Amino acid sequence: MQSIARSIQQIFSRYKILALLLAIVAIWSFFTWQSEGSFLTARNFANLLRQMAITGMLASGMVFVIIAGEIDLSVGSLLGLLGGVAAVLDASFHLPVALNFAIVLGLGLLLGLFNGYWVAYLRVPSFIVGLAGMLIFRGILLAVTKGSTISVESENFVAFGQSYLPVTAGYVLGVAIFVLQGVLMLRGRANRQRYQLAVPPLWQEAVKLVVIGLIIAGFVEALNSYEGIPLPVLLMLAILGGFSFLARHTVFGRRIYAVGSNLEATRLSGVNTRLVKMALFGVMGLMCALAGLTNTARMAAGSPSSGNMGELDAIASCFIGGTSMRGGSGTVLGALIGALIMASLDNGMSMLSVESYWQMIVKGSILLLAVWVDVMSGSSER
Amino acid sequence: MSEYLLEMQGIVKAFSGVKALDGIDLVVRAGECVGLCGENGAGKSTLMKVLSAVYPHGTWEGRILWDGEPLCARDIRETEAAGIVIIHQELMLVPHLSVAENIFLGNEITGPGGLLNYAAMYQRAAELMAELKMPEVNVALPVSQYGGGHQQLIEIAKALNKKARLLILDEPTSSLTKAETAILLDIILALKKKGVACVMISHKLDEIAAVCDTISVIRDGTHVATRPMGELSVDQIITLMVGREIKNLYPREEHAIGEVIFEARNITCHDIDNPARKKVDNISFQLRRGEILGVAGLVGAGRTELAMAIFGCYPGRYEATVLLDGRVLQIDSPQAAVQAGVCLVPEDRKRHGIVPLLGVGYNITLSVLQRFSKYGVIDPSAEMQTIEQMIQRMHIKTATPLLAIQGLSGGNQQKAVLAKMLLPQPRVLILDEPTRGVDVGAKYEIYKLMMALVKDGMSIIMISSELPEVLGVSDRVLVIGEGQLRGDFVNAGLTQETVMAAAIGKAEALAA
Repeated sequence: MQSIARSIQQIFSRYKILALLLAIVAIWSFFTWQSEGSFLTARNFANLLRQMAITGMLASGMVFVIIAGEIDLSVGSLLGLLGGVAAVLDASFHLPVALNFAIVLGLGLLLGLFNGYWVAYLRVPSFIVGLAGMLIFRGILLAVTKGSTISVESENFVAFGQSYLPVTAGYVLGVAIFVLQGVLMLRGRANRQRYQLAVPPLWQEAVKLVVIGLIIAGFVEALNSYEGIPLPVLLMLAILGGFSFLARHTVFGRRIYAVGSNLEATRLSGVNTRLVKMALFGVMGLMCALAGLTNTARMAAGSPSSGNMGELDAIASCFIGGTSMRGGSGTVLGALIGALIMASLDNGMSMLSVESYWQMIVKGSILLLAVWVDVMSGSSER
Repeated sequence: MSEYLLEMQGIVKAFSGVKALDGIDLVVRAGECVGLCGENGAGKSTLMKVLSAVYPHGTWEGRILWDGEPLCARDIRETEAAGIVIIHQELMLVPHLSVAENIFLGNEITGPGGLLNYAAMYQRAAELMAELKMPEVNVALPVSQYGGGHQQLIEIAKALNKKARLLILDEPTSSLTKAETAILLDIILALKKKGVACVMISHKLDEIAAVCDTISVIRDGTHVATRPMGELSVDQIITLMVGREIKNLYPREEHAIGEVIFEARNITCHDIDNPARKKVDNISFQLRRGEILGVAGLVGAGRTELAMAIFGCYPGRYEATVLLDGRVLQIDSPQAAVQAGVCLVPEDRKRHGIVPLLGVGYNITLSVLQRFSKYGVIDPSAEMQTIEQMIQRMHIKTATPLLAIQGLSGGNQQKAVLAKMLLPQPRVLILDEPTRGVDVGAKYEIYKLMMALVKDGMSIIMISSELPEVLGVSDRVLVIGEGQLRGDFVNAGLTQETVMAAAIGKAEALAA
């Protein structure tokens, strides 16, 4: 009996993603049952993903910050500020959308680097830098918007948050991603064989590929049967692809993991660990800008309260997605699945008209549980 | 009533089959001070941990008699209740608590309801301070207000407050200035008169001579000799301490030694906690092309700090001028050092060497990752090729290059860390205890590698606490003692005794 429990535990600690997917299935089944089917409609699915996109963008940046052993509490306020600035630039200065976006993205990068400079070079703990930024950025936002909601006038701006990828393009994209997955899998196998590493049996990989194919097909089909893939969701998927590449195949990515696993050893290897940390916060700032623009476009307005508690959702997503609190391990895919779980809880409970206080209690408990599971599986390994 | 306060008989303590202590005897009379001497790793600290029940009764063999009665303590609390108090090398004070609070930590005077009785504690603490001849200490101020010397004495006050009958001092003066040391030694003499017995572990033979009545020498976990202090000369003690044959473990090979390429001038490092004290005091030396320079000295002599200052990573205040090929190098970080052609393999492999969660291969390439990348994107096959070459060259035994390095044995981890610091192709390679915690086979391979490197014209600085290793591998030997350069010997006919004498500070006595 105990050995069965142990082997189940081993499977889950090795394939954390599997456990997360099971959790999603359970949550979705529950809400579908409770809402008599209206949770699992194409329309709600599109809505759910759009809600998730913003948290997902933040979580994609946050996961690297946490892997490097830091934390950034200012992202919610920074999102709000950058979204607000974009709204003001549009409403008051009538800047062309492209220029507006360029300015906001640049500002996001700069403010992120500013945070990073305080952490990496002035050696203020990131928790404090984040806490300060949370107040400062929110304060500036209130000053910029003078405390009132500012409507976006430009149609192109709004389209950024509210338009969809045409149905045909969606199918083409789905097929392309599937083929890419297949090619990557074969290349990975060839590579592992070249270096005499253990290769899983072909049927296992084939099953994995079929499952991935089914997920992609279901995903594209569901969204296309409504209006197509929402643009922010597309953007989020692009970030997922780009950041996964960054994590595995770039110097910067490797150094992030090295810094998180042992900062001193990495520094003594001649790596400029401070620069790595500062750059990390720069990336986080850039993600805040993207999330802020998406948020403002989706609401067609910049509001002084937008992004409130956004940092908590992002951080919770990372931890639910299996990012280690000790630093050094975690994946972008995991963080995004974590964000999907958080968004599903929000969406489902709102649909069932659960009181908002209950929503907070449930989300908090899930976070506590997820981290407890991580600690338990971690301590049994050591 | 027994003649002895403490008798330790036939103590054997093994760590996973390796005997750290192999049948040691030690006796202490009431009011007697015993100096415990031995090389690094001889087993002094292990013996004291057995005595104070850091290793509880039952995890070692042998017998301890305390006041003639068998002592079977399971933890420190029981030995402290009996009156055996150990003061560790690193101070164990809580800096932000007051002197009195520290003295009574875990032993507080309380009134009804568990409330702290500060008045009583302050009064007793002030009494203790007066007893230790430092009535100027305000016991209500935090410990951090006082320097290292006072802190050491506050530790002793804490021990006295526990009604210590036997005080164990492990390297008590290692973080003290000369003046502070003198005060401490006076106090030990005063305590002796009150009947408190004392075991003092120290590398500094002059201090042992000043306070101890008896000296006990141990070597490789066995008891070598116990004599009254007056009967032994310093050279006799040194011979007793080292007296080990150099086995033919060292693949010494002929290699050409060229011109001076590297120079360190006026290196001084200040203690972080006690800036008045210098951990490295104005050391200068030169290094030639293709030379292996051994750096010997006792633990805490300042060797690691010297290496850190050269490599640009000493954490406290320091001054250093470093020249390569006659040009002054601007080294303010490890990054700059690696770029300038100076690499360091650190002493503490776990903390400073390996990145535990990364694969063996990725650890090796961490120092030169840019080399395999274009626009920041790594070319995996180019990287893997280098990794495979290094794994073969260094004979690293690993199932796959992607296995997390924390799963490897110490020897293989060390080889991977070495490989990491060889890839930048340094001109000067500093190895800090390169064979610590490494098995004999891997040691031999590391020595072989060092020989091959110097033949290719690299210069190596090797810090080591193992004298046979220093003498077996080096071309020249620097001896460091208490932060100062105590000797610079060409390794021809050099003996362990000469090096040890210089390290302890008796070079003149021996030369005469």
